[in-house]
Amino acid sequence: MSVAVVSAASIPSQPSPRQLSRQRAIERFRWSILGPLIALLAFVLMPVLFLQLYFSFHQWTVYLGSWWDAEYVGLDLFWEVLTDPRFGWAMVRSLVFATGSTLGCFLVGFALAYLMHRPFRGQPFYYTIFILPMLTVPVVVAYTAEMLLYQSGPINDLISHIAGIEFKPMWLTNPDIALLTVMLLEIWNWVPFSFIILLAGLSAIPKEPIEAAEILGASKWRVFWEVQLPLLRPVIFLALVLRFLEAMAEFPKTWALLQGGPGTATETLPVYIFLTTWQYFQISKGAAMSYIVMLLMIVIVLLAIRLLRREKRSLDTMYAVAGQGPAG
Amino acid sequence: MMRKSQRRRMSAIVRYLVLTVWAVIAFFPIYWMISTSFKVDTQWFAWPPVYFPHPLTLSNYLNVWFGAEEYAATQYAISSQKPLISLLNSTIIATASTFLSVLFGSLMAYGVSRYRILSEARMFQLLMLRMIPPIVVVAPLSLYYSALGLLDSMTGLILIYFLTTLPYAVWMTKSFIDEVPREIEQAAEILGATRWRTIFEIVLPLIRSGLVATFLFILILTWSEYLLALIITKTQVTTLPIELSKYQGTTEGRVYGRQAALSVGITIPLIIVGLMIRKHLARGFSFGMVRR
Repeated sequence: MSVAVVSAASIPSQPSPRQLSRQRAIERFRWSILGPLIALLAFVLMPVLFLQLYFSFHQWTVYLGSWWDAEYVGLDLFWEVLTDPRFGWAMVRSLVFATGSTLGCFLVGFALAYLMHRPFRGQPFYYTIFILPMLTVPVVVAYTAEMLLYQSGPINDLISHIAGIEFKPMWLTNPDIALLTVMLLEIWNWVPFSFIILLAGLSAIPKEPIEAAEILGASKWRVFWEVQLPLLRPVIFLALVLRFLEAMAEFPKTWALLQGGPGTATETLPVYIFLTTWQYFQISKGAAMSYIVMLLMIVIVLLAIRLLRREKRSLDTMYAVAGQGPAG
Repeated sequence: MMRKSQRRRMSAIVRYLVLTVWAVIAFFPIYWMISTSFKVDTQWFAWPPVYFPHPLTLSNYLNVWFGAEEYAATQYAISSQKPLISLLNSTIIATASTFLSVLFGSLMAYGVSRYRILSEARMFQLLMLRMIPPIVVVAPLSLYYSALGLLDSMTGLILIYFLTTLPYAVWMTKSFIDEVPREIEQAAEILGATRWRTIFEIVLPLIRSGLVATFLFILILTWSEYLLALIITKTQVTTLPIELSKYQGTTEGRVYGRQAALSVGITIPLIIVGLMIRKHLARGFSFGMVRR
């Protein structure tokens, strides 16, 4: 709707003085809103990105005097980072962590959403309980996990009782499973995200095609695969993409719980950058690393944005057809 | 007929079973946190674990929140500040940055919705403020802030929280403004109202509940933020998540009861706020793209 009005207003054919002044007013309005924001971004973000670039090309640590006298080393730092196997492993861990937790969140969230998308007795109760993990501060999740997961702790004790076997994995100190532990925490924490988005998606699917398919004698299974799933595609993409991006940036739980340990078992990219910069004080190496990660993330985000743009269009169309949303 | 109803009952039972299992998984850690906060110190990590604490004690709360001396744990010396001050800091920082974010966000959203002051492509690029992990800029940010004197200050945190939550604010409020019919504004315009008056006296009041939802949603994000607070705050200004993490550095064993008492205090406001806007959470987290 808004699109139509704006294009009508901005058609260049014979603008009357009235239209011209209206256009000028809109321009003024536009810059009075965008101006301050652009100024702020230039004031905060530009110097920061510049500093980051400066440090990536100049060798400096806190022990080496003033940062503005640091020695120019060209691409050495980038070379150092790219040939650092620890960086490579951090990258692998980040990708494994993000992929695994995204899929985990999605599968559990989808199952829950599917079971709940039609009203039943007790639905509000379950909904309330299910969103609680998302409302727990990540640092709190980390410390509570520590209270739960030590070897003779309640989780192992409960599982042993329920399963009737001795179950004593060292969740936090065994380097082979520490990353899995953090992944499970991330999944516990963010299943609600996938759940609420997919539930909203499932509830918004128009009823008519489903009823039509059922009348034609389609089984529940076929209705799901051939009617609901295709209509749900935009929401599924959204749940996957947004979760993946957040998981790539995950820092609080991993750091607060294990600081990258035991050994380097949970050292994801954010943790390794943090360690390099704030524990080893290799500011320049950290900056070069940050730049590489930033470029990587920009590529990923741009791809994600392309996807999101496409899926948002189909979502908007769906809401428009359902008559509960705007057309614009 | 019989078989069909039986099958329906079976599927209902399976559904309740699955949902209940997950409900237990989702709630147990929260229960454990709450129950630990009421445990006496011998039960913090007793074996076998104490599932139903008895006797209950308030000492953890009195010590952590009010620094009651008779319950003081020696470990507490490591914390430079009382949590009540952190609570105040957190409240001020979260509220101020969220307010700025929603104010600016809703103005931008109005401009985008009605006059396309940002193209669709620019709107999506705005998301990058949120989607690029903050870890890649925190080091130069802290240097820059220290040069400006913003390190360890509320202003510094408010500013950066404002910028990182702005995409959510713009997108979420836009999804609400898009749902308001334009006719009312056009009528106001014809009657001679200025654009700003139209915004503040007609449009924003019309999406009042949406604004409240956006505000509370962003409050959740700023309240629980960890990394930026960890870098930017040092001693003068501490937020609650950072206050909690100080307990981890203690050398004299784990003080689970104290940590739990602090954790409960940090989490309760979030849970209340989150449940208040539970219908809008999907819209918030999906940048307004998914609605209910």
